[in-house]
Amino acid sequence: MWLPFIGLITGIALGLLTGIRIPEEYSNYLSIAVLAAFDTLFGGIRAYLQNIYDEKVFVSGFFFNIILAASLAFLGVHLGVDLYLAAVFAFGVRLFQNIAVIRRILLTKWTARKERIEKS
Amino acid sequence: MDKKKLNFNFTFITLVIGFMIAIQFQTIKKPAERDTRDIWQLREALLKEKELQSNLLTEIRSTEVKLAAYESKRKKSKEQALADTLEELKAEAGLTEVTGPGIILRLEPVVEDMKPGKPLAHVVSPELLQRLVNELNMYEAKYIAIDGQRIINTTVIRDINTDTKIDGHTIKRLPVEVKVVVNDQNKAEKLYNRMKVSKARDEFFIESFRLTISKPNPNITVPAYDKPIRVQYLEPVKEGGTS
Repeated sequence: MWLPFIGLITGIALGLLTGIRIPEEYSNYLSIAVLAAFDTLFGGIRAYLQNIYDEKVFVSGFFFNIILAASLAFLGVHLGVDLYLAAVFAFGVRLFQNIAVIRRILLTKWTARKERIEKS
Repeated sequence: MDKKKLNFNFTFITLVIGFMIAIQFQTIKKPAERDTRDIWQLREALLKEKELQSNLLTEIRSTEVKLAAYESKRKKSKEQALADTLEELKAEAGLTEVTGPGIILRLEPVVEDMKPGKPLAHVVSPELLQRLVNELNMYEAKYIAIDGQRIINTTVIRDINTDTKIDGHTIKRLPVEVKVVVNDQNKAEKLYNRMKVSKARDEFFIESFRLTISKPNPNITVPAYDKPIRVQYLEPVKEGGTS
């Protein structure tokens, strides 16, 4: 269970230690990619908690979402429309929904466990 | 479900996310230190940079000079030959001042011919001058100048509105000096002797001009032709052409 957190910390450490910087113009793309990744991650956690987790869907969704978001932002830049806002909006809403669902599931689980403890 | 695999997947994804976040963070992060230099410090910094720039420019210049020196050394022999040829051609075309042995002819009005009420002859006819030049050329004159006007191959001597003009230069005032330079002193002597007995003197006298011929002088300077030479109908011969 702790392995993902270790992964996250390792990733951050790796990124900070290598000191990679991307050009300012591309930071938009990266930010939206991060958002897409978060969305996929929380979607995966929710799916796991709802017992509908599929490994292929998760991994493919991760990469596909990132690419889609980046290309949408790219298209937006070239059309002169801030299309990346659409991606931000979509991912933001889904992120909140996913987190809400996760919270409810965890709460239900927690209360169920509490009740079980009280009963016993 | 394979718990291990799931854990691995999540770990991998979180690793990637963490990496991306770190990069994004570093990219967005503004310089850690705020620039708090005041205008004088900024000026100092600017001065330093400018010094650096000028140093670099000096370096570039010196390198370029060196490069040019090497280039010129490489080309010198060729270039020298070319420059020599150019000088030669210029001298031949009459674009250089020439000093050498020669004689000076003077055209003056005939004093005895002066009559009250009759205007003094002052216009030398172009035909006479042309004949004189032809005669001088016949006697191997190398460089000729009439009234300070160099005679070259394309020179025209003609009458324009009763003025005698040599390439646009009007001969108005007498006496007119004709300077002739030849190759060496011997030829100058020869020219002098021939001119003394030439018919030109008589011809000029008929038109009431007196032609006096100075003794050969080893140092006579003929000025350079000072107008652009217009070449209208000359074309370089094509290599392998039939002409």
